[in-house]
Amino acid sequence: MSSSTDKTVKLPAEPPLVTGNLGFHDITQLVSYHTEKRPPSVWYMALAVSSTLLCILLLMIAYLVWNGVGVWGNNNPVGWGWPIVNFVFWVGIGHAGTLISAILFLFRQQWRTAINRSAEAMTIFAVICALLFPTIHVGRVWVIYWTLPLPNQMEMWPQFKSPLLWDVFAVSVYFTVSLVFWYIGMVPDLATLRDRARNAFKRRILGFFSLGWSGANRHWRNYEKTYLLLAALATPLVLSVHSVVSFDFAVSIIPGWHTTIFPPYFVAGAIFSGFAMVMTLLILARRIYGIENIITIDHLEKMAIITLLTGTMVGFAYITEFFIAWYSQVEYEQYAFLNRATGPYAWAYWIMMSCNLLFPQFFWIKRLRRSIPFLFVTSIIVNIGMWFERFVITVTSLHRDFLPSSWDYFNPTIVDILTFVGSFGLFLTLFLIFLRYLPMVSMAEVKMVLPESDPHHYDDNHSKSEPH
Amino acid sequence: MISLPVIDAPTRDLNRRLWRSRPHLDQDPDLIEMASEELIPGASDTPSGSNRRHFMQLLGASMAMAGLAACRRPVEYIMPFSDRPEELIPGVPLRYATAMNFRGIARPLLAKSYDGRPVKIEGNPEHPNASGSSGVFEQASLLQLYDPDRSKNILRTGSPASWNDFLTLCEQIQIGNRRIAVLASPDSSPTRNRLRTQLETQFPGATWIEYRSEGDDVETLGLQMIYGQALRPVYDFANADVIVSLDANFLGPHARNGDWNTRSFAQSRKLNGADDQMSRLYVAESTYTSTGTLADHRKRMRSNDISGLANQIASFLGIHSGETPDAFAASIAADLQNANGRCLILAGETQPAEVHALCALMNETLGAIGTTVTLLDTEVPMQIPQSQAFPELIEEMEAGQIDLLLMLGVNPVYDAPSSLNFPEAMSRVMETIHVGLHVDETARMSTWHLPLTHYLEAWGDGRSWDGTLTVAQPLIAPLYEDAKSEIEVLHTLVNGQHTKGYDLVRETWTPVLEDQNFESAWRRTLHDGYLQDTGFASVTPAASFDGQLATPDNRLELVFRLDPTILDGSFANNAWCQELPDPITKIVWDNVAVISPKTAEDYGLVCEYSKGRYYADVVTLAADGQEIELPIWILPGHADNTISVTMGYGREISTTRPERDTPFWDKDDETDIYARGTLATGVGTNVSKLRNLLAQPVLTGVELTATGRKWTIVTTQDHGILDTEARPLIRMATLDEYRQDPAFALQDEAPTPSSDMKTDFQDYPELWKNNHPAKSPAYRDSDYWQNQWGMVIDLNTCTGCNACIVACQAENNIQVVGKKEVGNGRELHWLRVDRYFLSEGDMDLDADPQIVMQPMPCQHCENAPCESVCPVAATVHSPDGTNQMIYNRCIGTRYCANNCPYKVRRYNFYNWSKTIPDTVQMAQNPNVSIRFRGVMEKCSFCIQRIRETQKRAGLEKRPLHRDEVATACQQACSAESITFGDLNDDQSKVSQAMRNPRGYKLLAELNVKPRVSYLARVRNPNQDLEPVG
Repeated sequence: MSSSTDKTVKLPAEPPLVTGNLGFHDITQLVSYHTEKRPPSVWYMALAVSSTLLCILLLMIAYLVWNGVGVWGNNNPVGWGWPIVNFVFWVGIGHAGTLISAILFLFRQQWRTAINRSAEAMTIFAVICALLFPTIHVGRVWVIYWTLPLPNQMEMWPQFKSPLLWDVFAVSVYFTVSLVFWYIGMVPDLATLRDRARNAFKRRILGFFSLGWSGANRHWRNYEKTYLLLAALATPLVLSVHSVVSFDFAVSIIPGWHTTIFPPYFVAGAIFSGFAMVMTLLILARRIYGIENIITIDHLEKMAIITLLTGTMVGFAYITEFFIAWYSQVEYEQYAFLNRATGPYAWAYWIMMSCNLLFPQFFWIKRLRRSIPFLFVTSIIVNIGMWFERFVITVTSLHRDFLPSSWDYFNPTIVDILTFVGSFGLFLTLFLIFLRYLPMVSMAEVKMVLPESDPHHYDDNHSKSEPH
Repeated sequence: MISLPVIDAPTRDLNRRLWRSRPHLDQDPDLIEMASEELIPGASDTPSGSNRRHFMQLLGASMAMAGLAACRRPVEYIMPFSDRPEELIPGVPLRYATAMNFRGIARPLLAKSYDGRPVKIEGNPEHPNASGSSGVFEQASLLQLYDPDRSKNILRTGSPASWNDFLTLCEQIQIGNRRIAVLASPDSSPTRNRLRTQLETQFPGATWIEYRSEGDDVETLGLQMIYGQALRPVYDFANADVIVSLDANFLGPHARNGDWNTRSFAQSRKLNGADDQMSRLYVAESTYTSTGTLADHRKRMRSNDISGLANQIASFLGIHSGETPDAFAASIAADLQNANGRCLILAGETQPAEVHALCALMNETLGAIGTTVTLLDTEVPMQIPQSQAFPELIEEMEAGQIDLLLMLGVNPVYDAPSSLNFPEAMSRVMETIHVGLHVDETARMSTWHLPLTHYLEAWGDGRSWDGTLTVAQPLIAPLYEDAKSEIEVLHTLVNGQHTKGYDLVRETWTPVLEDQNFESAWRRTLHDGYLQDTGFASVTPAASFDGQLATPDNRLELVFRLDPTILDGSFANNAWCQELPDPITKIVWDNVAVISPKTAEDYGLVCEYSKGRYYADVVTLAADGQEIELPIWILPGHADNTISVTMGYGREISTTRPERDTPFWDKDDETDIYARGTLATGVGTNVSKLRNLLAQPVLTGVELTATGRKWTIVTTQDHGILDTEARPLIRMATLDEYRQDPAFALQDEAPTPSSDMKTDFQDYPELWKNNHPAKSPAYRDSDYWQNQWGMVIDLNTCTGCNACIVACQAENNIQVVGKKEVGNGRELHWLRVDRYFLSEGDMDLDADPQIVMQPMPCQHCENAPCESVCPVAATVHSPDGTNQMIYNRCIGTRYCANNCPYKVRRYNFYNWSKTIPDTVQMAQNPNVSIRFRGVMEKCSFCIQRIRETQKRAGLEKRPLHRDEVATACQQACSAESITFGDLNDDQSKVSQAMRNPRGYKLLAELNVKPRVSYLARVRNPNQDLEPVG
């Protein structure tokens, strides 16, 4: 076929979303296989480490509940320390999944199909970690249910003016919707697994969760409709949840917290850290499970670009805060920011600045954003930076506020550190279990983006080869 | 609801009606509504107005569904009194007048008791020498009573013995010609004096020394030097225009007449209008003291050099021909002269008797005697200085001439100068009897130890500073059976038999009250706490002075002072006192060697701040072959080439209390301050080891060497110099500036949305009256809103003495957390006194900053930022305008504390109330909840006092009297710096104070509308020393 007869407009060539000439069955095989065979030994090693960390987390929580919040470094004036930093950190990470599956779905970004399943799983596990921290950080954890609007004889309701209460609703709604979205998206794949299952017990379980899926046209129709609706429902939540988290700070009157830029700045930061975490996890998973053809270097490069974009936005916000502090001419505000950059926590501030603003700038260079080792290192650096961002916001604002007489310093304790490290145990254990038992890539959706799934694919003798 | 045909059936005969009253017959809707309810309106309604029965149905159904049957509360038995003690109504406090012996002076008090348990100390408001105020030590003395480490048993050479064994000893010593010596703590008790005379008759040649741990009573000795008799000065600061203090911390918490001095001084500093007069205070001192913080001119000088300043002033006044006065001395002297007798000059306890004598002479010359200084004849013979009598006694002891040594409430093994080698001398005495509250250093070395009663447990008497006879009556039987009072022990020793303290005191008072009906006069005295018109006579003796002032010694000096929080160590085992921040350094749980920045530099010493704690160089201080080790503290404003230390630390008290031991995962043993032995043991260093033979307060020629080690120091505040321009927290002006613009404090204040609206609280009552959200009348018609509480704090009179902090702690059951947790920033004091260093102009920042104190309770903001952020509404606004903390509801998110711009909220990081010992539990105020771990707490404006007063007024069917409610801090404050009351009452003290032109609100620009106002500080500088412009 000569090109002269082709009337279609040539767009710049998009790289294929799936490489390696994979067919439908190849994809099914490649993904399902890992839930059926014995996992690789590296999986067992990882599980051993992460479940140990999980045990440490449980021990730390028991120690905390037995003795009281004093086992942490919190004090007066720094009422919120690491637990809240960790909360915001994990909520932030829990952002990427729903963004990828909902917003990118609505924008028809088809490259999302390779990564959305594991990103959503990561979201759910990160939100579980996030929910843990505000729960255990209260002084009397046994009455945490008072934050829920439960009817009682005193007609005592939660206080709806409090941003913490908004948090309770925002995060729990986000968690519920993300979970449902994730599960609904997984139904066709669960049915695939059910059909492949050799063991009756497994088949029954998968059969229950695949909701009687038979791949009928009606099923697909309903499925697509539901998925679209859920995506539309989840989209505002992606923006709202971190905006609400930012209200915890922005609604207060503390210099350094009382900032109107917080909602967009927090959302950008969350996407930034979420993508970094997806990168960290997937760079490992694609390698270990040999699915480099499904999650290709092009996928990673796209994520790197988003990281560059959001990192720059976050950096812009940092600088804007300084400008506004100067422009406001408010002594307390000016001091709060000066103290961040030059005070006793300046080291944390400069870690934050370099990790979040400086490092992602290397992604301007194409060679670097396509370099797996560089991506991996940067993704970790970004998450370190984002943890420090929350630390800087929470601790440096509190430790020196209006009256110099109450200024103090915050020192974390070993319990603070082990609880945070332990939360990675919870996260990774859940993620490893996910990798072991559930399809880590959305097979159905990846198949949809194969050129073969185009109904007209075979119409004019187009071969499977790449378009010229 | 449930319909039953029997009930719902219409009445058959409609013509015949039974009616109860006219409104009933008329079908008055109000009555119908009332009659239809089971109970009176509001009694059974929920806030939204739904029915109780309805709720019960729901509750019953859910109970039934839940099938909840297994839970059972633990059984508790309430034991009623089989006979009700006279006057005792459970839950209603009784107040008794009593008195506490404080450094030899009776401090008249009113002690509050609940169900036979004293829980709070106040000043006796009716006493001629007191007002309702009280100091740190009076407040803290309550916890002394409940000290779990108090000695409980009589000990003979360390083993338990009985009172009968002691009686046997007393009988034995009656026989034969025994030489007895008594070392007694200073006490003004007439009963003890009577027994002393008896002792001296019974045992001829007996030695009696009033032993003071701080050394000679220089004030009395000084006056004795020029007047030839033991006199006591009363300073009337209120009448003075010029006051000069030569190292005299007369406003300090440990001043013997501090309560009077503070009250009187504060009167001379109150400014209500532009034309009010204000005194001028000059202070020359070596360390920064409470008095120094209020000085209009403060000069830091070595204590040794201050006699030189006295000399210069004296020579200007023409008393001495000596040194030519420098500019400072000349200005002071000229100012004194111009005051026409309305002036006074006084010397401090660090100054030798000669300086005191010289000051008295200057007062004489200036015409101050009779105007601002009254001299009282204390009716005691000439004093022999302790520095003379005590070494003599030791010599006699060493020579074996003393058969029996009785030590009443003193601890010389701990605080006598070690060069005197008192323990060695003690071992040469056959019987040494120690009577004290604790098994302390002296008790362990004595052959006998008798537990001493606390003043709230035993009968006693005394004389206040002005000499008024005062009775100390007990409120509770001794907690420990063996405990005896000083007079009981003394009487037993003299007579060989035991008589009750009550009888001993009555015996003394019989001749005093002889011209009246004894029983009724005695009862009247007990009720009032004092006997009218029994003060010392004022005298105006002729003065003659030929003493010579010692020439100053320029070597490095060391100055010993009483500690402002634990005194001479007698309050060292008191948790409240140990955790009380030093008024100036804000150090807790430690003593330090305070030096100036320059001295520190000279010796290459540093005190590094790192991560919330200070790491101070430890130095060795050596003199006369003795040495001690102390961490240093660098205090701006301290004089160079001098070191200040405080006494009372480094105690070793024994206890029989078991140690708390918990498994490794339970931190109770770490967080319980009482877990490991006594509180005092191991805290700080005993400095008396370095004192010279005469126990002089100033020691020269001290060697200071660095050890190279570091010690962690914990403070409740960080160091910091405040730039007043940028943060207008403390607002100040000079008197001239104030005269020009009395409202200077509001200059340049940022506008707030409320500043152009109605006054802050005006619309508040209507809000509650007309727009109350609740439907139930019980909520809506609560008339709490009729009072609007507020507070005003006058920065011009606050000395930072800490009395308010301890009063608050005692009133509100505030727990003590220990050095480590204070270091972690977790102290619980609801009220703190913020100390700011303040420099103006180009002054060398380190050398001469001013210090300003700012008490900081909860500001009870109208737009409280804490209230809106609590997710469970655990902190809410009351109808009467207080910001309330509902402990039961609090889940401990700490968001409120974060959002408080004043950072006055305190959090229970651990279960501190769980581990408090049984006796300390008895000290808790039953009207204030004990807080569990994990909840927030903070100043409540003493809401329990407000409600108690309202309840009392309600029972008496009357409105609240004007200014009837007083908060604990306000009541304790001798300077009357704190005014509290009802803002709705235009004539209340607080409303008047609110109208004071100096008023300003802290951080008003945040529009939180605080209910606490501050009155800006005004200085009255001498223009000769500080030219205007």
